[in-house]
Formats: sequence, structure tokens, C-alpha cells
Amino acid sequence: MTWKWEPRGEPTAALVWGVSLGAVAFAMILTGILFAFFGVAPIPAFVTIVERTILDARGLSEVVRRSIPLMLAGVGLTLAFRARFWNIGAEGQLLIGAVAAAGVALFSGLPATLLLPTMFIAGFLAGAAWGLGPALLKVRLGVNEIITTLMLNYVAIYIVRWLINGPWKGRSMAGFAYSDMFDPAAFIPTLGATRLHWPTLLLAILAALLVTWLLARTRFGFEVRMMGESPEAARYAGVDFFRTTLILVLVSAGAAGLAGVGEVAGIHRRLVDPGSLSIGYGYTAIIVALLARRNPLAALVTALFLGWVAASGDVMQVALRLPSQITGVTQGLVLLSVIGAEPLLRYKLVRVRKTQPPTAGEVA
Amino acid sequence: MRRILALILAAAALTFAAAQDPLKVAFIYVGPVGDYGFSYAHDLGRQATQEHFGDQIETIFVEDVPEPEVEPFIDQLVADGADVILGTSFGFGDGILAAAQRYPDVIFGWGTGYLRSPNVFTYMADFYQVYYLNGLIAAALSESGSLGYVGAFPIAEVKRHINAFTLGAREINPDAEVNVRWLYNWYDPAGATEATEALLAAGSDVIAFTEDTPTVIQVAAQRESPGFSHYASMVEFAPGYVVSGQLVNWETIYIDFIQGVLDGTYTNSNLEDVDYFWLLEEEAVELGAEPGVPVAEAYIDDLEAVVIDHPEFGEINAYDLVMRRLAQMTESRENFDPFLGPLVDRNGKEVYADGYLPTIGDLVSMEFAVPGVVGPWDNEPQ
Amino acid sequence: MELDLVVTTLARALAFSTPLLWAALGEIVVERAGVVNLGVEGMMILGALAGFVVAQTTGDPWLGLLAAMAAGGLTAALHAFFSVLLRANQYVSGLALTIFGLGLSGLIGRSWVGRPLTNPMEFVDVPILQSIPVLGPALFQGQYALSWLGLLAAIALWFVLHHTRLGLTIRTVGENPAAADAAGVRVLTVRIWTVIFGGVMAGVAGGFLSLAYRPSWGQGMTNGLGWIALALAIFALWDPLRAIFAALLFGTFFTLSFSLQAYFAPQLLTMMPYLFTILALTVIALRKGAGAFGAPEALGEPYSRGER
Repeated sequence: MTWKWEPRGEPTAALVWGVSLGAVAFAMILTGILFAFFGVAPIPAFVTIVERTILDARGLSEVVRRSIPLMLAGVGLTLAFRARFWNIGAEGQLLIGAVAAAGVALFSGLPATLLLPTMFIAGFLAGAAWGLGPALLKVRLGVNEIITTLMLNYVAIYIVRWLINGPWKGRSMAGFAYSDMFDPAAFIPTLGATRLHWPTLLLAILAALLVTWLLARTRFGFEVRMMGESPEAARYAGVDFFRTTLILVLVSAGAAGLAGVGEVAGIHRRLVDPGSLSIGYGYTAIIVALLARRNPLAALVTALFLGWVAASGDVMQVALRLPSQITGVTQGLVLLSVIGAEPLLRYKLVRVRKTQPPTAGEVA
Repeated sequence: MRRILALILAAAALTFAAAQDPLKVAFIYVGPVGDYGFSYAHDLGRQATQEHFGDQIETIFVEDVPEPEVEPFIDQLVADGADVILGTSFGFGDGILAAAQRYPDVIFGWGTGYLRSPNVFTYMADFYQVYYLNGLIAAALSESGSLGYVGAFPIAEVKRHINAFTLGAREINPDAEVNVRWLYNWYDPAGATEATEALLAAGSDVIAFTEDTPTVIQVAAQRESPGFSHYASMVEFAPGYVVSGQLVNWETIYIDFIQGVLDGTYTNSNLEDVDYFWLLEEEAVELGAEPGVPVAEAYIDDLEAVVIDHPEFGEINAYDLVMRRLAQMTESRENFDPFLGPLVDRNGKEVYADGYLPTIGDLVSMEFAVPGVVGPWDNEPQ
Repeated sequence: MELDLVVTTLARALAFSTPLLWAALGEIVVERAGVVNLGVEGMMILGALAGFVVAQTTGDPWLGLLAAMAAGGLTAALHAFFSVLLRANQYVSGLALTIFGLGLSGLIGRSWVGRPLTNPMEFVDVPILQSIPVLGPALFQGQYALSWLGLLAAIALWFVLHHTRLGLTIRTVGENPAAADAAGVRVLTVRIWTVIFGGVMAGVAGGFLSLAYRPSWGQGMTNGLGWIALALAIFALWDPLRAIFAALLFGTFFTLSFSLQAYFAPQLLTMMPYLFTILALTVIALRKGAGAFGAPEALGEPYSRGER
């Protein structure tokens, strides 16, 4: 008699929710223990966090605001990951999208009504173009996309740094490394006095719906899924890998580019340091997409969740007087327990009676 | 009768509570308090301020705040009942000014900033005079006449400091040069290491810097070159090689301002013109690597051995010159200023006419490089 | 003068690239076994902290290095547990490790900031070798022992990976775990130990930073070096010998971005290695076809028997 992991079929929605919530609850217990260790009573602490981030209108607006780039980039990544195109480059695609939008805002001289739409289009195209190279290299030459997309993140970072320290450096910024402020016509409108740039949020939701529709209802979506689930079968069925990969990467990277437009024109309103422009949103989006089990609509939820975890960090520092570093620790705990629970969705533990002698290499 | 008594008691309790309620002052730092640089120095200032006012105020701080994320932190601090919020970094400006409009009852301070509003004041404790004195010392100790400077970003503040350092060096040695390398970063230990190594390899033998870690003097000491510490006392990091440095006493500004708030002099509607730009005179900054020690004991002999013929003081040794200039500037900026005209930039163009004493406005927007500065200089006027 | 520049550049490139090389060598072995660990930065920083704390308390930097290795290995064991044993997604697990490591080291390290390491690793000059013209002064004078040990480790790992049975086993596990399994190799055991080995190497890299290169502790002192090491592992096409040259190339561009600052925008110089990586991959693919990379076939795929 022994225990063995056995793969199970597609998990039911109830199981997914149950396991995910269980994992979050587990992480919260660990976080609570950490709080207690620092002399903060856990239950009132969580109440304060919820009060300040969810029950408070402004706090809630900040949670949503933080999740906008995660939603856009994350939704894009769900599509790429469906086809097993491991795009690690959302960060760079986001930055380049921001650069393109900033270029339009600063130098195009377009009339006010055309400015924002052009910035979004430019951001989408620039992001898509940034994904194009790795896509071509992968389908034409078989170059690993993890490498190329990761490398292009750094290239994008240095391009932004170079621009704000060099040719695009603002004249009005006392020598600080920013571009000049955009014209107000290039600001994405926000909801009241909050920083919630709602048009970008709307775009994110539309993107999630669009990708869902593409995947479920179109031949393209069918091909994407086939490429991801069984490349051999896809090849046999005559899927055009070149065309399909190109389209999916354009959509995926373009969405990240849009996220960049949202950040640069909705929050900063000028081109700023890459570390300020994106606080690792492109990398967090990978987590968003994978936690969502590559489902674009679910990515909206996981993005909100990760936005909330980040916002909770502010509360911990201010209201609970916990050291700032605790934020990273709790975020790590949440992620680890969520992925630690994930195998429960894919495998079930079954008891098996041994019918043959154990072979070498029997593990787990 | 009973009810009236109860009312009086309640009112008394309320007044009592109000009188006891300390002024809540919040500090927002851009780095961790343990950076041993900028944020560390501000936190020392916060502690001294708290000690000074005792129960009258309650200070709290948040650290490691990414510049564009300052607004949600301000929201949290206001929700927490903060009366005064002090953001220490230039990059917090947008967030502070936006939040100040949203929370008109709260008083805000923007450290190193330049825009004010009825409830936002600006403040700065500036080192340019101290860097000038460091320049005097550096040139006197240098054998090669080539000094090194590792700068964070080519912003007006750092340019002003490099210029002052260079002018000081040239008062001792008219041929001295200051070799500049930029990190394009406030915090970059590896970059600071390699920048320092590059300077030493290029022949510079005394090093000063603006960056948020003690890296530069640590590396310089390893290669047996003296250096100057920045913000915190960094003597421990390079024993025997820290000649002097720049120390800041942020509490001078914090105490002065908070006293004004407690007195009712400063309110949420009259800060439009409140701009602290405090210098040696106000004791906001100090020469030295340790409080009370302007020049490390071990280097005084070396400095006294360097004697120059000075147009103003005649024969004078470097140590005395440093002390003389320090005394002059501590008394008043009017007595002596490194940037007093006539001054030309390194392209030979006159920037300040004879006898012109640059205003604070001139200083905070300084873009030119003085003669003797060697190296790239972004935004240099042509 | 030009020769001086060459010598100092080479010398500084070696020093700067030492932590990159150690961490990249670890990651190469891990990825050769088919596992991706994006947690290098997290393992490195915990190594740096553990190394500093132990060296400061005991006064012995080499004990500190042992602690750094242990800390890196332990952190990696978390990744092994989640991604190998539980078959969780490797990318998320690695990213989580980085976030967690940066946070935890900052938290524990709060009371250790602002003090230099009292007894750091010293420069060592190698007799005889230091008198080689040009290369001698650059590589064998004023360098830390860990810098050459890194070079030796690269050669040793290359030998192990390509010329020993153990290396063959590791590579097979990364190329074709099912075949390895069928041949009686304990796939998961191999993967777990290689992941831990990678953590130990990242620990050395972190220890080098806090014990030698920057003998002090500062929050976030790895400052992105772990990510560069990851890029390096791939740039070297998973080959330890090529990793030496790749690391030196990264180091060269980094130090040149300071010594040549007057002539080139430093941001563009530091960008070069990344562009070169892509270019190099493209050229190789054009000339030899995709198979030439030697990317482990099963990279990033969890293994469990009976699937696939």
C-alpha cells in the first residue's frame, strides 16, 4: 500500500475556488502569525486592512488603480501562455508602449481630440513590435522566447533611461531625469479626485472579453489552444504556426503596451524612470496570468487580488506600524501558498495497492 | 444641576483630551532608514525632533516609498490622523501637491522641492558651502592635482556641489581638476564601486561623492586614497581614510517649522512663501565626518604643511584657510560665498558679474560647470 | 595609456562579474536538469545577509561564506519543494522566491545596517602568474580569491557536465526525463539536488558581495545582479566555459560605461550585452539551425511519471 499522485481531469469551478480560497486563507494565517510576532494582534489588523483598502472608497480606488496594468498585461499573457509562448517580456513591452505614447504626447503636435487615441494606438503598436522580434525568432529560427523576451526587457529599461537622461530630458525639471510634463490633453481622465484612469480599466475589461471570445469562438482561438495542448496534433491538423504565433504575440504584447500607455498618461503624465514607470508590473502579470490558470476573465480577478495584496502593504506600514520589508515577505507567502496548493487542482492523491515490486526511481 | 455638572465634566474632559492630543507629524522616506545615507539622515532628524518636543508631538515614518506611489501612503497617513506630512524626496512633489489640494487641512512639507502652495512649504539643508571646504582639503592632500567625484544624477543640486568642490580645490591649487563620473542612480553599490575604481585608475587620488551608500569611500580606502563621507558619519567604513565630509542636521529645520505650527505661526493657509534653504549659518549642515570634528585629527598636520600665498590672507596654510572660510560662512553667507562673482563657466563664458552674490534661485537652478570640472555634463549651457 | 585602459578594464570586469559568474554557473546546472529558477536574486540576497551576519559575529569571512552557501541552498530547497515535488509552476515559484527573499532579508537585516564588515576578505596576489605581461597584473593582482575560484569552478563544472556520468545524468534529466526515468535515474531526486546546488552557488555570489566586493550589509544590495546572472546563464547557452566569457563581456561593458562615460551614453553601453545576446542567438540559429543551442528540451516542464 502506498500513496500516489494521479492526474485528474479538468477541475470543477467549485474545486478551483475552494482550493484558491483555502490557499489564501492559509497565507493569511501565516501572515497573522507574522503580525503576532511583531506584536500586532492579527484579527484587528486584518479588519483595519479591509477597512482601509476595500470599505474605503479611496482605498478601493487605489487597489483597482494598481491592478489596471496587471489586468492588461496579464490578460495578454494568458493568450500567449495558452499557446505555450513563454513571454517573460511584458515588462519591456509595457515600457516601450509608454515610450511610444510619451513620444506622441511630447512631439506629435496632434490636436487634442486625436492625441489620446493616437497614444493608445502607438503604445499598442510599439508593445506589439517589441514582441514581434522574439516571435519571429521563435517560429522561424527556433530561438527560445524566454531568453529573447527577458533580454528585451533590459533593452527597454536602458532605452527609457537613456531617453530621460539624454534626448528627451525635460527642460523644466531642474535637471532631474524626467521628460517634460505632457500637455493636459494627453492626460487620461481619472474618476473624480482619484487616480483611477478608468478608460484604461475599460480597455482592460474589453481586452479580457475579446481574448475570451477569440479563444472560445474563433478558428484562431482553436489553433492557439491546439498549439498549447498538443503541438504535434496541431501540426498534423495543418495549423499555421507562423501566422498564429505572430497574431497571438501581437495581441499579447500589444496589451502590455497599452498598460504602459495607461501608466505613463494616467499616472505619471511624463516619461519617468523605468523603475517608477513600472514597479515590476510586467513580472507580476506573469503571476496574474498563471494564477488565473490562463483564463483571461479570471486574470481580471487575480490582478485585483494582487493589487489588493500590494495595497495592503501600505496599510501595514502606516496603520499597523510594521516594518516596510514585511510587505515583500507577506507577498511571497501568499504566492508560495497559492502555487503550493495548485497541484491539488491537477492531481489527486490516491491510495494504490502495489501489484509489482517497486522499481528504482520510484519517487513520491 | 446634575446634567449641567455632567456637561461641564464632559467639556473639561474634551479640552483635556485636546490639550493632551499631540501634533501628529509623519515623515515619508524614499529609501530604507537603514540606507546610511539620505533617509537615514532624515530619520536621525526625526528622532531629534521627537526628543526636542517630547509629548507635544508624535512622529511616525514610512520608508522605502516608491516616488510615484507616495499618494496612497499620504491617504493612509491622513486616515491615520497625521497633522503634518513631510515628504523628503524631490520625486514626491507631484503626489504631495496633488494630495495637498485634496486634504486642505493637512500641512505638507516637500524636502528639496521648489513649488509651494498655501499648505505646502519647501525645505532644504544644502551642502554647497561644505563641499567648497572639502574641495580646499582635497586639493591640499592630492599629489596628482586630480580629484575624483562620483555623482548620482547630473541635477542642479549635484552640479552645484561639484562646482563648489572644484572652486575650493582651485583656491588651493589653481591647476586642480575634478574628474566626474555619473551613476545615473541614487542607490547603486556596484556602480559606485566601478565608478570609483575608474576614477582611481584615471589618476584621481582624493574622492568625494553624492550617492546613498558608503561604497565610494570604502573602495577609495581599499586603494589607500582619502575620501569624504556624505550625510552620515562613515568613519567606520574606511578607518583612517575619511578626512572630512558633509553632515546634515535636518532637525534644525524640522524643529523650527514644527515650533511654528505649534505656535500657530504656520498654518494650512500661509505656507505659500515658506522656503527653508538652510546652510552653515543656521547650523543645518556641518563640516566633518563626525559631529564636532571638522577635519580628522590625523590629517591636520598634512594640511598645515601646505602653505599657499593667498590674495586675501597672505601666507596661510591649508588648515587655517579651511577654518577661516568655515568661520566666515558660518557667520553669514554675505561674508564669503564660493560662487561670488566674477565667475566664468568652463567654456569661458561669464555667468556672474563682478561682485554678484547669486540668489538661492540661482543656486538651485545651476546648470553650468566651472573651470576645472572634467567629464560629461548633461544640459550644459553652450 | 591604451594598454592601461585594457588592463584596468579587464581587472574590473573580472571583479564585477564574479558574483554574476557564480550565480550563473548555478543556474546553468539547474537549467541543464530542466528546472528554471527565477529566484536567483532572492537566494543571492539571503546569502549576502547570512554571510555578513555570520562573518561579523565570528570574525571569519570564510565561515560567513559557508553560511551564505547554506542560506542560498535552503532558499533553493523551497523552490525544489514547490516546483519539483509539488510540480507547481516554476516561473511563479521563482518570482515568489525573489519577492520573499528581498523582503525577508530586509526584515532580518534591519539591525545589521550601517556597520562595515570588520574582517572582510582581502585581495590576494598569485605568485608567478602575476608576472605574466598584461594579463598578470589584471587578473592576478588585487583580486579576491573568489574571483579565480569562480573561473576554476566554471572549468570544473564544464568537466562534470560534459565528461562524467553525473553530468550525463543531469543533462538527460533535462533533455528527456522520461528516458532518464526509464533508465533508472531518480529524476526528481536529481532535480531537487541540482536546484539546491544552484542555490548554494547563488549563495556564494551573495556572500562575495557582502564579504568581499562591498563588505557591508545594505537592504537590496544585490540591486538586480541576480537577474543579470539569469540572463548570463542563457547567454552562455548553458555552457560553463562560455559563461566565463559571457560574464567578462558583461563586466567589460559595465566598467566601460564608467571609464568611457565622456564618449558614450552609459545607458547605451550597459544595454549592449543584452542586444549582443539576441544577436548571437540569431546568428547561431541562422548558421546552424535551432538545434545548435543546446537548450535543455524539457526546460521548465515539471516531470511526473506517466504523463506526456
